[in-house]
Amino acid sequence: MKRTLSTLLLALVSTASLWAQGDQEKGYFVGSFESNSIIYAEDNVTNAQKPEGNFGTNNYLKADYYLGNFSAGLQMEAYQPALVGYPTNLAGARLTNYYLAWSDGNFGVTAGTYYDQFGSGLLFRTYEDRTLGMNTAMLGARVTYHYKDIVALKALWGAPRLGMEAAPETQVRGLDGSLSLASLLGMEGTTLSVEGSLLNRFEPVSPIVEELGGSASTMGYSARLNAGHGGFLLKAEYVDAGSKIYSNPNILIDGKSNLIKNGNAQLVEMSYSGGGLGVNVTARRLEWMDSKVSYGSSELNNSLNYIPAMCAQYSYAITNLNPYIPQPGTTSGHINSGEIGGQVDVYYNFRRGSALGGKRGMKVNFNFSTYYNLKEEGSFVPKTLLWRNVNVGVEKFLTRKFKMQLLYSMQEYNHSHGVGKGTWLSNMVVADLLYKYTPTFSTRMELAYLTTFEDQKDWMAGLFEVNFAPSWSIFASDMFNHGDTKIHYYNFGFSYTAGRTRAAFSYGRNRAGMVCSGGVCRLMPAYTGGNITISTSF
Amino acid sequence: MKKLIFAAMMLLFASSAMAQIPSVKVENGKGKVVNTSSLVDGKTPMIISFWAVTCKPCIQELDAINEVLPDWLDVADFRVVAVSTDDSRFTAQARALAEGHGWGDFTLLYDKNGDFKRAMNVQYTPQVYVVDKNGKIVYSHTGYTQGGENELFKVIKGLK
Repeated sequence: MKRTLSTLLLALVSTASLWAQGDQEKGYFVGSFESNSIIYAEDNVTNAQKPEGNFGTNNYLKADYYLGNFSAGLQMEAYQPALVGYPTNLAGARLTNYYLAWSDGNFGVTAGTYYDQFGSGLLFRTYEDRTLGMNTAMLGARVTYHYKDIVALKALWGAPRLGMEAAPETQVRGLDGSLSLASLLGMEGTTLSVEGSLLNRFEPVSPIVEELGGSASTMGYSARLNAGHGGFLLKAEYVDAGSKIYSNPNILIDGKSNLIKNGNAQLVEMSYSGGGLGVNVTARRLEWMDSKVSYGSSELNNSLNYIPAMCAQYSYAITNLNPYIPQPGTTSGHINSGEIGGQVDVYYNFRRGSALGGKRGMKVNFNFSTYYNLKEEGSFVPKTLLWRNVNVGVEKFLTRKFKMQLLYSMQEYNHSHGVGKGTWLSNMVVADLLYKYTPTFSTRMELAYLTTFEDQKDWMAGLFEVNFAPSWSIFASDMFNHGDTKIHYYNFGFSYTAGRTRAAFSYGRNRAGMVCSGGVCRLMPAYTGGNITISTSF
Repeated sequence: MKKLIFAAMMLLFASSAMAQIPSVKVENGKGKVVNTSSLVDGKTPMIISFWAVTCKPCIQELDAINEVLPDWLDVADFRVVAVSTDDSRFTAQARALAEGHGWGDFTLLYDKNGDFKRAMNVQYTPQVYVVDKNGKIVYSHTGYTQGGENELFKVIKGLK
């Protein structure tokens, strides 16, 4: 299939190129290149991992061409070898993605690789996230159709990517539709739509699994409602993800190699925005929602849906020591069917000239989130606390040149992910101070402290950054665990930007822990070394 | 095979015109689906900034632009388009953040499936573009350093 698609792509691209040269309407080309390399150093203090050859490099070249209603593109990836901590199925160099697409305002057809998702991605999502080593692009075909603003339909088929190429035995077929009642009825200032999806996943299973009730072909569906009026928005989603195959940890007791479970999830999201106030309330329940590209792999990028942590997203290192990892249901080590919980997010802008806003205004934000595992299968009753977070942040220009941000965060984290009741409670404060000396010269300082009676006890952290806009930025930072290990995690480096090209170098010690992007995390071993990143787009 | 495809792409590159705003579907501030090509109105240029709730420099840059926007608009007529690259799970949070940061004067777009981002080849946020009134990309920049926003204004002023 792939060879046929490649040939087709080449033929069409060449035709398009000739056409472009002869035609008045010229096509245009965009592309990007990214290279991320680390030279690893020996470090006995942190037990740093050092691969053979002391070197790792991840490289991506992407190019797209547009001509009228046509577009075509490709992506090449090279892992020579992959950086430490990335999925082990990323190795070597390969043309990983390529597509040809045609679309006018209403119809769209894509052949080759493409990314898509149904609703919020609980049932189905294929995406790329280079920080995580995630690329699950479908290789196949997709057709989309829009009728005015009223109807949107999508049909797709293909094999999702696992590692460097499409999974050999998995086939996914899906249908997705949306009907906008507000547009149909001509309701002004209101949005109201109902949506639904169907997903069929096929992967051969062994006769033993079949005997236990497992099936090669499984069906899942999702039903959704979106409504909005004025500043209010409501989104609700119900997902039945179909039957799932899990390994049975009690095989020695009941003799069954696998457990067959039915996946389901509920999600409600309400938000209001207006008058400088933004509020967002989310509630979510997951049960057996782990969805795999292929049953045979345990890599992080073996994922066919999207289950992010729905809680505060922090950008300071000290507040991300133990990020929340969602529990969509697991049978590895212990049996836990899922989780239930939610979050409240509030942002408010005290306007300039108001009592609290003062001359330059003030921004505040607040987040509360909490998650529990389920009392029993099928239950909506929470049992053991998995995660709780409260944080308050304030941001204000004290003078024209001096901006201050303060953050307080309390996090309670169940380190056994619900097997036991034990939690680690920590309190954190961060001060982030920016001073602009001239319009192009500024310095920024971060001071942070974490206090806890558990795990490695107290931490402190500091960062100093000097910026010469628009090109240069130099930084040095340290995170010090003075409560227990007495290890300094130091880092220093610089970045240089010229237009669309950015080069950055840093050297330092990195702690073993979670690297998160978009609410999904991957485990990263400790490493020490020099990191060179180059990215450009054209 | 791969080399052939690569050669074909290079051929296209050689025969290409200046990049412009692609036509993909995104959500606007009210949750309605709009086409990105409708941003081009033939009258005013725009700054398009791709951001995310977890991207601190992105928020700093948009705040910095918001801060000086009234003064800039005294000198030149243009629009600021803030494209949230957050996926559907963080769209509600992105909306709340945009409101709480007082970005009411920006055109807010939500690129939940990353179509706009991919079509513009945005790898890192913040990535910011200056687009002329006809939809041609005349400047772009990756990353943000304090004060970097002044570059954008220089380009806008030069677009008379």
